[in-house]
Amino acid sequence: MDESDDTLIMRARDFWASIGLIAISTFFLWKTSDIPLWGENRAGVSGSDWYNSAAIVPLSIFGGLLGLSFVLLAISIRSGGAQNALSALGIGWDKSEAYRASTIGLMLLAYVVGLVPRVDFILCSGLLITALTYGYYGGHARRALVACVAVVVAGLFAFAAFPAQADWNARGDDWFTLALWVALTLVVLTKAASERVLRFVPLVAILAPLILVCAMAFVFRQNVPARGGLIFKQIEYHYYVTLRPLWKD
Amino acid sequence: MDFILSQLAGFGTAFVGLAVDPLTYLYLIASVFLGITFGALPGLTATLAVTILTGFFGNKIPLDYSLIALLGAYVGAIYGGSYPSILLNIPGTAASAATAMDGYPLAKAGRGGEALGLTTTASFIGTVIGTITLLIFVWALLLVSKNIASPEKALLALFGILLSGTLMSEDLVIKGWIAGLIGLAMSMVGLDPLLSEPRYTFGWSYLMSGFQVVPVLMGAFAIPQIIDGLRHVEAGKVLALKGRILPNLRSIRRYLPTIGRSGVIGTGVGALPGVGEDVAGWVSYGVGKTVSAEGNKFGKGSLEGLLCSETANNACIGGALIPLLVLGIPGSPPAAALMGAFKINNVIPGPTIDPEIILRVVAILVLASLTMFLMGLFTARVFIKILAIPQTIFLPVVMVLTTIGSFSVGGGINDLYLMLGVGAVAYFMNLMKYPIAPLVIGVILGSLFDETFRRSLFLSDGDLSVFFSRPGAAILLVLNIGLILSQLPVAKRAFSRLKGLSV
Repeated sequence: MDESDDTLIMRARDFWASIGLIAISTFFLWKTSDIPLWGENRAGVSGSDWYNSAAIVPLSIFGGLLGLSFVLLAISIRSGGAQNALSALGIGWDKSEAYRASTIGLMLLAYVVGLVPRVDFILCSGLLITALTYGYYGGHARRALVACVAVVVAGLFAFAAFPAQADWNARGDDWFTLALWVALTLVVLTKAASERVLRFVPLVAILAPLILVCAMAFVFRQNVPARGGLIFKQIEYHYYVTLRPLWKD
Repeated sequence: MDFILSQLAGFGTAFVGLAVDPLTYLYLIASVFLGITFGALPGLTATLAVTILTGFFGNKIPLDYSLIALLGAYVGAIYGGSYPSILLNIPGTAASAATAMDGYPLAKAGRGGEALGLTTTASFIGTVIGTITLLIFVWALLLVSKNIASPEKALLALFGILLSGTLMSEDLVIKGWIAGLIGLAMSMVGLDPLLSEPRYTFGWSYLMSGFQVVPVLMGAFAIPQIIDGLRHVEAGKVLALKGRILPNLRSIRRYLPTIGRSGVIGTGVGALPGVGEDVAGWVSYGVGKTVSAEGNKFGKGSLEGLLCSETANNACIGGALIPLLVLGIPGSPPAAALMGAFKINNVIPGPTIDPEIILRVVAILVLASLTMFLMGLFTARVFIKILAIPQTIFLPVVMVLTTIGSFSVGGGINDLYLMLGVGAVAYFMNLMKYPIAPLVIGVILGSLFDETFRRSLFLSDGDLSVFFSRPGAAILLVLNIGLILSQLPVAKRAFSRLKGLSV
């Protein structure tokens, strides 16, 4: 693919991006109308002038964004972007790249939305590290799918079984995640004989989140996710009950 | 003269204060090591290093240690980018892209040790030049900035966003401006700073306080990097390091004029709001190629070419801190992350900043560059080994670091949702060649722009002439308009015609 092809693809993408931007800026311009612009009382301040309004800067920003979006649309149409915009080839659709990015995206979504709030941080991060490394080292599409399924199933289970915040300390999802992590680690180890790098994955997957969460909780004394998690609760208990008295007393 | 002496005395006190504290060295060594590692691993950047450490150290330890960690990582990462550039022909960071042009041919010719040694020395001298400039000019500018009022601040914030959008765009300039406007729009969420009017909160109480800086930084810089970097790349063959790394004094003396010139260029580029180390490296390389007697050898293994970019990108650090400390406008993307660290520590960079903080920043930069220099000369072989680590091992750990860093800054789980959302937007923007730095700078400067623009209107009863009746504001308004007009096709055609005539 030469440079002119790249530019054509970019202009086709710009065509869709500009339409998206026009829609978004129009929506927010409409939403800005919720903010009083002329003469109302605002936060106890009576203002009858436009320059008192909290809407004035957002109006300029979204107005500017709308204007620039139209300019981008014009540029893309003039450069032939609109003609190519409807064909997959025109927008540079790459199936393998879309597969790669979407599986990673799904894993991150399952991790952040499903696992981190509900499941022990060491367990869910260990699963994520194992899955991401196994899935994308070597560029095997099948492995990426297996890794994605493992994280997404764990995330979906946690999300569906314990949707309410009151239940986030429950242990069922911790055990389920642990089981998936162990299973995935076994799969990784079967491949480790031929791929040396994979031998280190279980070690990294255990140590990295363990060190991070302990440093954050006990060295910097910060809040960490899922304090009531299966492993962290034990660590916290033994830190305060068994270890700390050793130097405190 | 008195002024310079008093500055040096203040710097000396801050330096000694830090140097006698053993914890300083712990943070320095760890952060510079981490920074060089981040720089050396292709796919991890200086901005990412500073961003992640902002989440990790930002408000959890005293400000001094937090600054040591962040500045150490910043200095280390910019320098660390030279390792893969020289030994793999892959720039570790965007700032080292120009370094690969001459570094790799030198290593291929068996002069890798010499190249690495001189690069380390030049990076050290470059950082020191930037730091000295920071020490001297920041005070002069602080005096001037005391006379800056709301109209100037609003126009300056706008100029920072526009300039960053203009210079950071890979594709169309308009995309940089759109990215800046998206950042500004994001900063409008929450209670407005003057009347506490809720804007775009959609009834979600978390949004009342607006978008938090750290999750936005993490989302914008880390998530796209992780998604993009997780692909199988055959690890390039690291060239064997031949020759001694320790440079001899004669070659340093020989290249001192080049190092000095590049240091000044790097500092100058860094001082421009929103323009980063990559631009500094290329500008210095371009100037070097034009003025150097061996300009024709640039790109074929010229030590001078190598030093041009490597000195400038490190000198840029001091320069980038000038607008940050004086005006509260970050001079580069990693400086934007530093701004986030200042903000979560309740330090407001700008004319009202505590002068002690500036002196400590300067002292930390000197200590960090010294640490980098010693580590570069004596532990280079450790970092060369790091080049063999595949990204697929490192990036998942970065994701976990990002998550816990973002979570612990304060907003809890909502901050993670915000990080993920911003990350998704930034990933698609990357895909469509929209620069991310203007977006982040827009988010950071948005509230300053909003507050000062509206305050100007309040005080002038809506009279727009306040933006051109004051001399400073008039100059800035002309700069803003000039910057926009200069990008119009008509203006570009006129420029190129003029250029043709002058030749």
